[in-house]
Amino acid sequence: MREDETENFSSFLQKLIPMASSLLLLLVFYLPFNLPLLDNIRPAVGMVCVYFWMIHRPDIFNLFSVYLLGLMDDVVSNVPFGSNIFSLLLLYLLLTNLQRFVSGKSFAVMWYGFMLLSLVVFLAKWFVLSVYYSQFLPFVTVCFSYLVTIAFYPFLSLFLAWLQNSFMADED
Amino acid sequence: MKRRRSLFIHLSHIRLLAKKFAIVLLFLSAFVLMLINKTDTVIIDKTSSVATDIVSPVLDFLVIPAKALANVYDYFKELQKIRDDNRRLREENRQLLILRDWARALEIENHLLSGLLNYTPPPESSFITARVIAEEGDAFSHSLIAYTGDGAVQKGQVAVSDKGVVGRVDKVGNMYSKILLITDINSKIPVMVERTRVRGILSGDNTATPRMVFIPLSAELTVGDRVVTSGVAGVFPPGLPVGKISSVEKNNVKIKPFTNLERLEYIKIIDYKLNDILSAEDDDK
Repeated sequence: MREDETENFSSFLQKLIPMASSLLLLLVFYLPFNLPLLDNIRPAVGMVCVYFWMIHRPDIFNLFSVYLLGLMDDVVSNVPFGSNIFSLLLLYLLLTNLQRFVSGKSFAVMWYGFMLLSLVVFLAKWFVLSVYYSQFLPFVTVCFSYLVTIAFYPFLSLFLAWLQNSFMADED
Repeated sequence: MKRRRSLFIHLSHIRLLAKKFAIVLLFLSAFVLMLINKTDTVIIDKTSSVATDIVSPVLDFLVIPAKALANVYDYFKELQKIRDDNRRLREENRQLLILRDWARALEIENHLLSGLLNYTPPPESSFITARVIAEEGDAFSHSLIAYTGDGAVQKGQVAVSDKGVVGRVDKVGNMYSKILLITDINSKIPVMVERTRVRGILSGDNTATPRMVFIPLSAELTVGDRVVTSGVAGVFPPGLPVGKISSVEKNNVKIKPFTNLERLEYIKIIDYKLNDILSAEDDDK
């Protein structure tokens, strides 16, 4: 009986890992590190987390996790409320339809998939916010943010993969 | 038995339908939130402030190891610089001593001239020092979250660093406040070129170098000119250093802020006792 309870509790904790790790990473990248490497560089951590967990653990990381992550991003940042929710939901929508092309493939394919999907999301977010502000946001900075996010993807996914391999049981 | 089975099928149909439409509903909710944000800032401001107050203690906790990491880096960096700095500071100190005497003389002169002009000094200002716990500087927004304490600040107050204007208080929570940086696309500050007194508006565009707009066509501007607040509209007092002109192209004057907005640990939030103006602004909204 006690073993069952322990197992249930352990399984519950494992299910929390994707969401908890995503929230933690999201907050960490808002911290003022004051390092020259991180000057004016903020990768879109939410996108990386959604992409990674949607591919590796779609059974745990569902639509509402995506929404919650977007909401948290909106709370911490100063962009119009709802815009981060929109971008992450768009990534979710794209992934649910295109997942079969990247799921179970090599890292290079997944990275390439992320490059394509995040490009669509960045452009959509840029367009929506440009409409919101009634003026085009500088396109160069959006490109820069996109490139930074792409560059950070391997490191962040390495960390998330380590979490998954170390603390989570395989998908049921 | 049959009835129970049909009920089960019915329920699973509803669940499937709900799942299908959940994404549409959530998308809609995102757009509704943006729409509310655009039309009624008061509700979003209040919600955002409460949410920031809830999330910020976590950031406040996480900032400790981040600061330790930054301190280690700074320590090694400082060691290299310390010898050069020492030599430079000795020379600077010598020059400052000369300047101090000069400044004293000017102060006395200024006092005498102010009396002659019946000059009204600016209202008594007060300030608090706030610790920066989160910063955001990407393509879509430039802001800070700072620990400002209980009820110590008000929306619209000026945030400065030791080098110049940083931004203004945008959202006030119980303990934490969001500061809109001068580089954010929503930031508009009346400024002037210190040398020529040419006035304009410093308009953020989410890049590191905001633009100066609404400048007269005949204005003479040179790269390196200092830009200070003009005091027009009364929210920012005149004369606060903002930055210097980094490039002058046709219809595009870029200003490089004096403060490195990506490296702020502490900021000063100044209350210039301009509450009437700030509350009038709120009333207008």
